[in-house]
Amino acid sequence: MLRGTFANSFTVVKFIFRRERIVTTAWILALVLFTMGVAPAMANMFPDMASRSQFAASFNNPIMIAMMGPIYGADNYTAGAMYGGMMLLWYAMAVAIMNIFFVVRHTRADEQAGRVEVVRSLPTGRLANLNATMISALIINVVLGLLTGLGLAVLGIEDMGFAGSMAYGAATAAIGLVFASIAALFSQITSNASGATGLSFVSIGVFYMIRAAGDMQGNEIISCISPLGLVLRTQAYVQNNIWPSLVLFATAIVISAVAYKLNSIRDLGQGFVAARPGRATASPLLKSSFGLTWRLLRNMLIIWAVVMFILGASYATVIGDISSFIGDSPEYMEVIGVPVDQLAALSEADQAKLIVDSFGTFVTLMMTIVAIVPLINAIMKLRSEERDGRAENVLTRAVRRCRYMSGFVILAYVFSVIIQFLTASGLYVVATSVAGDANPFTYTGLLQAFFAFLPALWVMIGFTVLVVGLLPKATTIVWAYFGVVAFTSFMGRLVMPDWMLNITPLHFVSQPQPMQDFVIDYTPLIIMTGIAAVLTAIGIISYSKRDMITS
Amino acid sequence: MSNYTLEITNLTKKFGKFTALDNVNATLEKGEVLGYIGPNGAGKTTTIRVMLGILKATSGGAKVFGMDSWRDAVEIHKKIAYVPGDVTLWPNMTGGEVIDLFVALRGKHDKERRKKLLEMFDLDPTKKCRTYSKGNRQKVALIAAFASDAELFILDEPTSGLDPLMGHHFQQCVLEQKNLGKSVLLSSHIMSEVEQLCDQVCIIKNGKIVDTGTLDSLRHLTRVNMKIETVKPIENLATLEGVHDVIEERGEVDFKVDYLNVGAVVEYIAKYGVKKLESAPPTLEELFMSHYDTKGV
Repeated sequence: MLRGTFANSFTVVKFIFRRERIVTTAWILALVLFTMGVAPAMANMFPDMASRSQFAASFNNPIMIAMMGPIYGADNYTAGAMYGGMMLLWYAMAVAIMNIFFVVRHTRADEQAGRVEVVRSLPTGRLANLNATMISALIINVVLGLLTGLGLAVLGIEDMGFAGSMAYGAATAAIGLVFASIAALFSQITSNASGATGLSFVSIGVFYMIRAAGDMQGNEIISCISPLGLVLRTQAYVQNNIWPSLVLFATAIVISAVAYKLNSIRDLGQGFVAARPGRATASPLLKSSFGLTWRLLRNMLIIWAVVMFILGASYATVIGDISSFIGDSPEYMEVIGVPVDQLAALSEADQAKLIVDSFGTFVTLMMTIVAIVPLINAIMKLRSEERDGRAENVLTRAVRRCRYMSGFVILAYVFSVIIQFLTASGLYVVATSVAGDANPFTYTGLLQAFFAFLPALWVMIGFTVLVVGLLPKATTIVWAYFGVVAFTSFMGRLVMPDWMLNITPLHFVSQPQPMQDFVIDYTPLIIMTGIAAVLTAIGIISYSKRDMITS
Repeated sequence: MSNYTLEITNLTKKFGKFTALDNVNATLEKGEVLGYIGPNGAGKTTTIRVMLGILKATSGGAKVFGMDSWRDAVEIHKKIAYVPGDVTLWPNMTGGEVIDLFVALRGKHDKERRKKLLEMFDLDPTKKCRTYSKGNRQKVALIAAFASDAELFILDEPTSGLDPLMGHHFQQCVLEQKNLGKSVLLSSHIMSEVEQLCDQVCIIKNGKIVDTGTLDSLRHLTRVNMKIETVKPIENLATLEGVHDVIEERGEVDFKVDYLNVGAVVEYIAKYGVKKLESAPPTLEELFMSHYDTKGV
């Protein structure tokens, strides 16, 4: 009986690895290479105990602890203690995301697409698919954990030895399995893949907040209720605890067992939460081409608005100690673009002001880069609607192509303004609450700084509209260009020749200083607005004149 | 200016080097139902997509209500209702919402009719589209189409996912529209459906129209199936002009006769004392197969 339930699981495992050979390999490589890249960079940035201790001190406040987790080994803050403390939480969440996508892809998504049915009709056990998915997840996480641990160990960074690296790797694998099992559980409960993925992501958020609450109050029990709190108790490179990994592993097994049980008692294609009936009729808001566009983009835009506000807020938490924090690290100053040569001539107060200004400029630029993503997404939605044949539902009715496309374009433009406003607001509100009177930013200054980037964002929108209109089969160009823009803005100053910087619209914004008495050079902004308008117009006209392409 | 509801003239559509439609000509008069048949990949959907202004003709073109299908697409769309062969909907919207949206995008809204059609096609409008089967997605598109006050209905294999009862309801809807003087272009694989509904038939193969006309006129070009029993065995039947596929079995003879030779053959067999004679016109299916079977007529 039991054997029959799991029959042929390993054949399915092999099949899963065949399907996953690119995606999961890419995930693992990206995660391990990221680890191996960041660890030495961080060690170089804080080469001595003094700089690290000061860093630890600047992070030792409730808000930072809520965000990053407790600081372990502060009295002997080695490069390892710093890496473990700063990175493990975020690494754990990245691994969680990989696992959620992986498990939902092979359970509920496959089931929804009817692929599980095909497998089930073969001589495989009832639980073979779920079992194979979890076995694959186990293998993937163990490989990832080993590679992460080994990767860190072979770097040979002082105080980042084998034991600590392996503890870090083990924690990685264990937390990955926990979220794999959570995704497996939600894949049984909900009846569709987007619901399973969504709920799993919500669980990351909830666990993050439980941990934040526990860590902030120093309440170990609350923190350890959350897997994300538990994983930090590994104290990699400090205590190298192995028990959190064991507890996490046991948790994963228990949750998986529940998922197996639920899977075995439900019908194929069904979930435990009955799909709620929706509206029988459309609201008046939906009954137009633009209403549909809004409906299609609404959720994404709202989520991004919240994300950007929080992102702005999170940068603001470090504002209090920022000038000493950055001023002590020449590498930081270089990355952020502090004009070091002007620094010596200034009084101490003016030095601090200049550093804070530069930081503000840097943050504005970073946020603006992130803000490009939802704007590109909004326009690219046009293309996926077209490719999947849904655009035709609208365009074979009395709706002009240019009108249909304009809906997406208008939303993107309006949202660019909203997003810059929200980010600036998030930054200002939290900076004020953290630093009080010491908040070096004024609200109008911040708004001006963020709004100065609008024409650059518009050029990005215009470029996307142009590509969707003119080269619908080559929309990857948009993301490639975004990659170049992000890289040039972040690292370009350090590594690229000046002429190459000219390919990114962000470069032409006159890097305003958010504090006060700064002057915006309006000429490039007006020119960029013009360019954006021309690109948009060409894109819309081309879209109206070409075939709809459903491939 | 022509009086045709739909007039396709020398339509050619190329995708790169591939010729999807090669000099296609077809017409549809007001109040008529035109059956558009052909195997998968023959170019039916491409023709329809050009008519709808979703694709641009490489040369030639289509006129709908006398207007250019590409240039005046929006004006044309105000008076047509379209059901695609492969209905893709938004997974997180309900069927009811989609129907209302579709009807609203065209114009007028008839609540009574919507309700009647929902009952007729037995569709739960409160379910999310992602939970609908292919047949249910087709029902959404069909309800939206028949709930709208259109002059021309363009239906691309609309019943491929429906059960026979729903297929019957669908035929009723088409006949109802026809009686109201509306025109219908029906692309279909279901020959009985085409035979029941269509005044004219147009057969497309490899992007070319290979046959067109009324069902009767098409039949003239083909063979009649005959089954006879005679007192005396018939001599030399197979050698008669226009007789094919003779099969003798227990005194009964099955064969096919070219339409034009029916009279002569009947005269000839009368001499052998006919006990039983059954004759059947070729089904559309045979007509269809005769064009696709490489060994056919």
